[in-house]
Amino acid sequence: MKNRISMGIAALMMVAILVGCGKEPVAMVDAAKAAVAAAKTAQADIYLPAEFAALQDSLDVVLTEIESQKSKLFKSFSAPKLKLDQVTAMANEVVTKTGIRKEEVKSADVGLLAELTTVMQENTGLIAKAPKGKEGQAVLEQIRAEMTEIQGSMTEAQTLVDKGAFMDAHNKVTVAKEKAVGINTELKEAIAKVKR
Amino acid sequence: MNRKVKISLIIAGGAIFILLIVLLLFRLVPEPPVVSVSKAREALSAARLNKAGTYSPVPYREAEALFDSAMANWQKENKRFIWFRDFEKVKKFAEMSGKKSAEALQSSTLNAEDLKTRLIHRIDSVNNLILTLDKLFNSYPLEPEIRTRISKGKLLLKEAEIEYKKGEYFRAGNRLADSEDLLLTSYQSSLANIEEYFSAFSLWKKWIDKTVSESKRNRSYSVIIDKFAHKCYIYYNGIRKYEFTAELGINWVGDKRVKGDKTTPEGHYRIVKKLSKSGTKYYKALLIDYPNKEDTERFRKEISAGTLPRSADIGGLIEIHGNGGKGIDWTDGCVALTDSEMDIIFDILKVSTPVTIVGSAVGLQEILKGK
Repeated sequence: MKNRISMGIAALMMVAILVGCGKEPVAMVDAAKAAVAAAKTAQADIYLPAEFAALQDSLDVVLTEIESQKSKLFKSFSAPKLKLDQVTAMANEVVTKTGIRKEEVKSADVGLLAELTTVMQENTGLIAKAPKGKEGQAVLEQIRAEMTEIQGSMTEAQTLVDKGAFMDAHNKVTVAKEKAVGINTELKEAIAKVKR
Repeated sequence: MNRKVKISLIIAGGAIFILLIVLLLFRLVPEPPVVSVSKAREALSAARLNKAGTYSPVPYREAEALFDSAMANWQKENKRFIWFRDFEKVKKFAEMSGKKSAEALQSSTLNAEDLKTRLIHRIDSVNNLILTLDKLFNSYPLEPEIRTRISKGKLLLKEAEIEYKKGEYFRAGNRLADSEDLLLTSYQSSLANIEEYFSAFSLWKKWIDKTVSESKRNRSYSVIIDKFAHKCYIYYNGIRKYEFTAELGINWVGDKRVKGDKTTPEGHYRIVKKLSKSGTKYYKALLIDYPNKEDTERFRKEISAGTLPRSADIGGLIEIHGNGGKGIDWTDGCVALTDSEMDIIFDILKVSTPVTIVGSAVGLQEILKGK
């Protein structure tokens, strides 16, 4: 009788321990980590910094929770598993969104570059229209120097676009366009004065 | 005691024993450092959001490393048998990470704010430098290389301003440093050039004083052309009566040396002829006596010294004429005014009226102060 009771207690203890031993979701953790790394590779930290920070944060929260469960006598990984799924899904979504945002910035860059090319072509025409003998004038010389620099900025911006650094290209091309438009106005005013 | 009571007592005893064992198991399991690690993670996240990695990188990286150590230790302890785990190290690392994150957060806020303040002052100062450059040198002939450097500096400043507005202060600072370098060196070399030109200022001043005195003494008109200010002043009885904007030769800086150099001469001259209608293609014109005695003497010296070729021609036909108002320097060395301004001076100025052309009527220091 005594033996049966001891066996029963031991069996109960084993069941209790076994029931508590949930399996650590190693594969899911790896998948979530890989998804976050993929988001970083996609440059989510540059194009969607807030979303990427939230993603990193969510992953850290789950990892802490997993360790917390691992420290318990009766482990349960059902909640962390659910969250890991969410993190992976969120990371994949961020990758997609980053791609969309990159395309947006890229097409904005390409559009700005095209507009800039048009303005610069017009500026070249306007400079050529300036009557001979006026080219040595300091203001026009400054304009020419600025146009050369804008041309340089355009080349740099195009290189950045080709390299996929659309955000850096965006700043460069924005400034260059602003300057080119300024020159366009200045030249038109100067030519109008000369025509008077 | 009957059998039923015995069994009941044994079951009750067994249950109490199991309960005690379970309680003992729980009691023996060390408390996981959830609170400390969560706090550390939150602190690190706050620091990260505040760009501590950029503006306070050293404490931020330390905080990150400490947090990683806490997690690594936690994982290590979790691998040990449940009752033998010790989370003290984990807690210690987590607490240290939390403190470092707080420190990184605080210093990054201060550093970013400090950088922001310094940047805005530097941006203002570079913008002022550009204003000075534009004011002093926009119509001053500069080397093409200097013009290129100024243009590049201006573009970089605009890029710095965009980065600043985006809160990317380090990137803004880098662009600004490049811009400052280009603009400051351009300013310094241009200033050295202009200082050399203004070394004749004391002579110009004497010419002006003499011309104004003559106007006062003879109760007559006289003309002063300030090339740097692009101004034509008409004096009567020693008092400035009119002030017009003057357009000059394309290469107006310096004294005229030779025909075709497109420079407006500097010196004391007099009106020698008044031309209108078919006499000039520039509406109305006042021909001056360039080259005067000093011009001819200097020209001869240059020929003798070999700084000018023997075939060189000193030139002539320098006038104050109409068709001006273009907003640029465009003449071959003459002074151009608008036709309506020519109408005014053509009526009041007579042949023999003194015309003094100087590099500047105002000293360079004064110009720089009023920049």
